[in-house]
Amino acid sequence: MSQLRDPIREGIQRGWKVSGGALGPVPAKVVCDVAIIGSGAGAGITAELLARAGLQVLIIEEGPLKSSSDFNQKESEAYPSLYQESAARKTQDKAINILQGRCVGGSTTVNWTSSFRTPPATLQFWQGRFGLDGYTAPALAPYFAQAEQRLNIQPWRTAPNENNDLLRRGAAALGIPVAVISRNVKDCWNLGSCGLGCPTNAKQSMLVTCIPAALDRGAQLLTETRAESFELANGRVTALVCRAVAPNGALAFASHAGQTLKIVAKHYVLAGGAINSPAVLLRSGAPDPHGRLGARTFLHPVVMSSSVFEQKVEAWNGAPQAIYSDHFLETQALDGPIGYKLEAPPLHPVIFASTVPGFGQAQHDLLKSFPHNHTLLALLRDGFHEESPGGKVKLRRDDSAVLDYPLTDYVMEGGRRALLSMMEIQFAAGARQVLPLHEMAQPYTSWAQAREAVKALPMKPRLTKVVSAHVMGGCGLAGSERLGVTRPDGVHWQLHNLSIHDGSLFPTSIGANPQLSIYGVVNRLAQDLAKRLSGRDVALA
Amino acid sequence: MQRRTLLKLGMASATTLALAGGAAALLQPGLEGGSLSAAGRGVFAAVAEAVLDRSLPADPAARQMALNSLLHRIDVLVESLPPHAQSELSQLLSLLASVAGRRTLAGLAQPWAEASVADVQQVLQDMRLSSLALRQQAYAALHDITAGAYFSDQANWSMLGYPGPLKI
Repeated sequence: MSQLRDPIREGIQRGWKVSGGALGPVPAKVVCDVAIIGSGAGAGITAELLARAGLQVLIIEEGPLKSSSDFNQKESEAYPSLYQESAARKTQDKAINILQGRCVGGSTTVNWTSSFRTPPATLQFWQGRFGLDGYTAPALAPYFAQAEQRLNIQPWRTAPNENNDLLRRGAAALGIPVAVISRNVKDCWNLGSCGLGCPTNAKQSMLVTCIPAALDRGAQLLTETRAESFELANGRVTALVCRAVAPNGALAFASHAGQTLKIVAKHYVLAGGAINSPAVLLRSGAPDPHGRLGARTFLHPVVMSSSVFEQKVEAWNGAPQAIYSDHFLETQALDGPIGYKLEAPPLHPVIFASTVPGFGQAQHDLLKSFPHNHTLLALLRDGFHEESPGGKVKLRRDDSAVLDYPLTDYVMEGGRRALLSMMEIQFAAGARQVLPLHEMAQPYTSWAQAREAVKALPMKPRLTKVVSAHVMGGCGLAGSERLGVTRPDGVHWQLHNLSIHDGSLFPTSIGANPQLSIYGVVNRLAQDLAKRLSGRDVALA
Repeated sequence: MQRRTLLKLGMASATTLALAGGAAALLQPGLEGGSLSAAGRGVFAAVAEAVLDRSLPADPAARQMALNSLLHRIDVLVESLPPHAQSELSQLLSLLASVAGRRTLAGLAQPWAEASVADVQQVLQDMRLSSLALRQQAYAALHDITAGAYFSDQANWSMLGYPGPLKI
């Protein structure tokens, strides 16, 4: 256990209003000004701004409140307690594994800190195709700048770890430009454990920034409490029904009454993340006259290439992501063959071992290479082409959410090109062997051999390893109600006291790690909302 | 097992299952009370020996201890899964533990406990590259749970050359 200060435990000592799970039973009924569902990137920014405006804010989080004293950098504890479905959430056909946070702070508590403003080309596409005239780079710039200042987002000035430097060196050898990633950290120890909860509170996640700021202003936080559904009448939300949940997400059946909680607010903000936000609306029977709800959900499907070097790489060590390349986004048309962003992921034992393909001797040899292993990933920019319509959020028979995301040939051919690019970079950086993560691939020892093999691989779902850590869309913004779920001001097109403030707003994927896009876009929406509800102008600290 | 899922196996296999196994309700569940049933343990014990063959200790006593410890780790992992995922895994293990399911879904003639490591590896390889989604999904679940659970145990990190996190 960390010996460092724990600002969350200190806040609880000071009298923060937090309940649920281990923090004690939640009340049976709550009346407040604004109920915010979720506590991640969009919810956190919204909570701080609304609390600054003097509004009574209630935050409802399905996951637990964990903090630096709990973060022991072990996957065996982090995945079950901090991630959706124990880090094993999958698309309906089980072809894509999805990493998403499920704890106070949401995915910001477990992400790798990579911060990018929304690319101008993405915003232009939204203006042209979705009537989002106000979503221009200049209009959003001040809101990004405020978020960057609030969360200490700056280019990473420390030397990249070997895992990231291999991307830099390999790309340089091929004349492919790379750049340094900006990170939301302060006094970072360069440990590399961001994905398991930051044990030093260096990561400026919502857990240690905006959520505490809201709680210090009297906001109330309910943890281990799931937003089940809204009650609706006459185009408005009249109440929110919540249930206590067990650590694995099962409904908690305690002996005492009060397991169902009813919340009545003047305004509601849905910010449970793409997949869970559309699911709340689906369970509520929310109006969806144009069939947009849950549709156009995007993932930045990720393919990976694993390689082995003579020298030690120790991909678990140091800032997880420091270097990226947008070369394969910028050198092709946005609506042409799918483009991809290249980054290097950190590796830890469980994620590595479950990703190493196969069994027996071949798997054993790869496992033994762990300290020398360098993996690259490619984020495929989905949602800009008619053959990349994304997926659809649905409900299972038990009302839990599932994403049906068919991987089209268009997307998978992009996966093949991305595997080729990554393998070439790895060989150029001096890799002794390269293995694209595909069930039919073998470790290859030369670029020529690898290239011929990958050209011939069947790029099929499940044979090709595909993962995602960026879920976007499903409650898309649009300038017309025919084209989306949410108005440009963040309010639901049919429900006038409901705003949506999370990654589910995005009408396409972002084409970059989405956390800063959520911070920036929601910063503007929440300032407007605070003004409408309170008459006051507020800004992030 | 849902009718729809059975249909994915193909009509021939579905008929075999219906004849040999009877109603799915009569099969032993793969999980009981949120942890592996005897049937589930039998499947995972055989699969783990095949998947981790070269990574498990060679000494028979140490190997058995490592396997027991792994099965316990799988119990812990299963407990953390949400209800829908537990239910799917339970059905999968139930089917694999039944005679008809073992033959059709895994393609394994003999009981799991009697199959050699090489036999189970062959079966896994066929599932891995199968054109049937359900067989591929079954392979992925068995593979990922086994490998992930084994290396969630810090006792097995030295094999990976992983020193563990820095103490702070």
